Amino acid sequence: MGVVKWLMKKITKAFGQNTSSLFFSLLYREILKEINNITNDEDLSLLVMREIGKRAANESCERHSTIFKFMPGSPDKVLDYFEILWVVVFGKELEDLSYEEIPKQDSPYNDYLLKIDNCPICADYGLSPEDTFDLSKVKQNKEGMACGLCGMLQSVANFILQVKENNYRIRITEQKCKAKGDDYLQLLCKVYDYNQWKELKSSEKEKNILSQLHLEETEEEFIQTSKLDIFDKLQDAFSLDKIEDIIDEPFETVKERIANIIEDKLHMEPTKFFDYFRNYEDDMIRILGFLTIHLLNEYGGFVEKLLKNETMAKAFGYLYKQLKELVLLFIPLDVINDYHEFLVNFLDGLAPEEMVENVRMYSGRDDINFVFEGAQIALEDLGINFEELEDNIWEELKSQREDELVPAEQSLVDKTQERFPKIVKILQEIVMLLNEILTLPIRVLISEGHYGLKTAVNSVVSEEEGLAGSIRNRFDTIFDNIQELRQ
Amino acid sequence: MNYSRNDLRLSEATMNQLRNAIYHLARFLINNGVTDLKERLRQMGRNIAKTYSNYWNPVDTVSLTNIREVIATIYKEVLKSSVSVEINDLEQLIIVSDTNCALCKYHYDDIEIAGCEILLGLIPEYVNQINMNSNQKSGLMIEPVNIQKSRALGNKSCVQVFKYKTGEFA
Repeated sequence: MGVVKWLMKKITKAFGQNTSSLFFSLLYREILKEINNITNDEDLSLLVMREIGKRAANESCERHSTIFKFMPGSPDKVLDYFEILWVVVFGKELEDLSYEEIPKQDSPYNDYLLKIDNCPICADYGLSPEDTFDLSKVKQNKEGMACGLCGMLQSVANFILQVKENNYRIRITEQKCKAKGDDYLQLLCKVYDYNQWKELKSSEKEKNILSQLHLEETEEEFIQTSKLDIFDKLQDAFSLDKIEDIIDEPFETVKERIANIIEDKLHMEPTKFFDYFRNYEDDMIRILGFLTIHLLNEYGGFVEKLLKNETMAKAFGYLYKQLKELVLLFIPLDVINDYHEFLVNFLDGLAPEEMVENVRMYSGRDDINFVFEGAQIALEDLGINFEELEDNIWEELKSQREDELVPAEQSLVDKTQERFPKIVKILQEIVMLLNEILTLPIRVLISEGHYGLKTAVNSVVSEEEGLAGSIRNRFDTIFDNIQELRQ
Repeated sequence: MNYSRNDLRLSEATMNQLRNAIYHLARFLINNGVTDLKERLRQMGRNIAKTYSNYWNPVDTVSLTNIREVIATIYKEVLKSSVSVEINDLEQLIIVSDTNCALCKYHYDDIEIAGCEILLGLIPEYVNQINMNSNQKSGLMIEPVNIQKSRALGNKSCVQVFKYKTGEFA
């Protein structure tokens, strides 16, 4: 799995509103049963459930449309990122997924058959007396229990295509259902051009039935070009698949790509673009720190939301201060200078000669200070009051209750105590992570001929146990702790 | 081999879309003539509790001495939510405050119902199921009263109110 795909899944899961999967599955069952109480027709109930799933997912997509601007914009790529769709909709890792491509003539895109061995909706269905929705009454050619989930997945997939102004749409239908006795959950993903799609969305019969139940099928709205912002203009260049490609490519190719992006999107030569920063090189480096924080915040505004909480704002403030001190105290100056050299090499050829020389005059230590200064300005914008912070944050860890029951009355102090071990853990992991990442340039330099960051990482260590694995594990721990903190 | 419900209990799912689905269901029910919407949602909660309690119970018996902790633990296990539970001895009320209710987040102009009506059915049924299956009779049962506040109704947090009864019935 690509790094970006993995990170996207982690972020989506960590910042969603989670419950136990069993509660999700049982609530889904109850919604279907309530629908059936109205329709008294199992086939029709599944149709309504699918429509409700579509509407529910579309509502979420419209609220968080920025996230989807960075998804790839063609049907085949969207399906390639099906795991992310699944995590967005269900929040659970997708296990045992296999693809089968169904070639289609007269269309640039093929259809897909997805087989999923484990279906969370069908888990143990039929074992409880409350499992009263009778699947034996559902006709064989109709969908099964996961129809609502299919409606949700379809909505998310088509919302992405809509946002990316793609003229194709995907219909996702359940062909095999474990609760109906099939061996696996099978989803058919058929790709239609927009004209076919408009005609095909629902048969007239289905439309009439839904209309009788006061559930008219929703119409898609195309987003007007005038509503597009700067992210829309850059989304083609920075969609997940393209970022994944960039990570896979060596340093020189990355430089070449960035030059192309500047030329294509900003319609100017890279040297002219960088010329704007000539004699303001220190500010340019500060902007890197500033933009990094604000770009992180672009993902649903999560940094800002996180920092609205006073405790979290303070914790991140302390984290920032600690990182700033640790970087200069513990990271060898050579390593920092390697990064400085990396920056100079990056600018060489892209920026004007004079600017490259000016940057060369700085030390690695200067670069780090500039980046941190920029980041601090951004963090202040987003809610951290650095003036309020003390020198030390270490507090006693919360003691566990003997009976393992959760205390019924949680004061701010209790909540902070409960969260503190996790905050400390996050701090530790981030510091360790930073240390590990900052040693990368040495490996890159050792790697003969600068084969690039990824080549260096892969050549030095294995994915499972080495540096890459370690970094991934640390991110896993960080996201898991963030997820727990949010509960 | 598919997931079991016990496997699901040990993992987490993102509720965003299904939470929205509750309100689309509510619209669907209203448009089709359902007038006892609150009761329908509470019944859904009761059904969920009956099934869920087959797979996990926080204690063997619920009594007045541990009811607050038991309710907080159920919220933590099922909804992954940290709540405050208060007891009003005078009126025999249990008041649960949840600032991060998984079933309510947005206020809808067209619908005046809180998704956490489901919890008004779920919690009493859960507690009553535990006591029904317990060897020790605690003489405690709880029943739903109302949703005092809800984020779905425009408030900043959700407050669910239950009434407890003590006697020989449990």
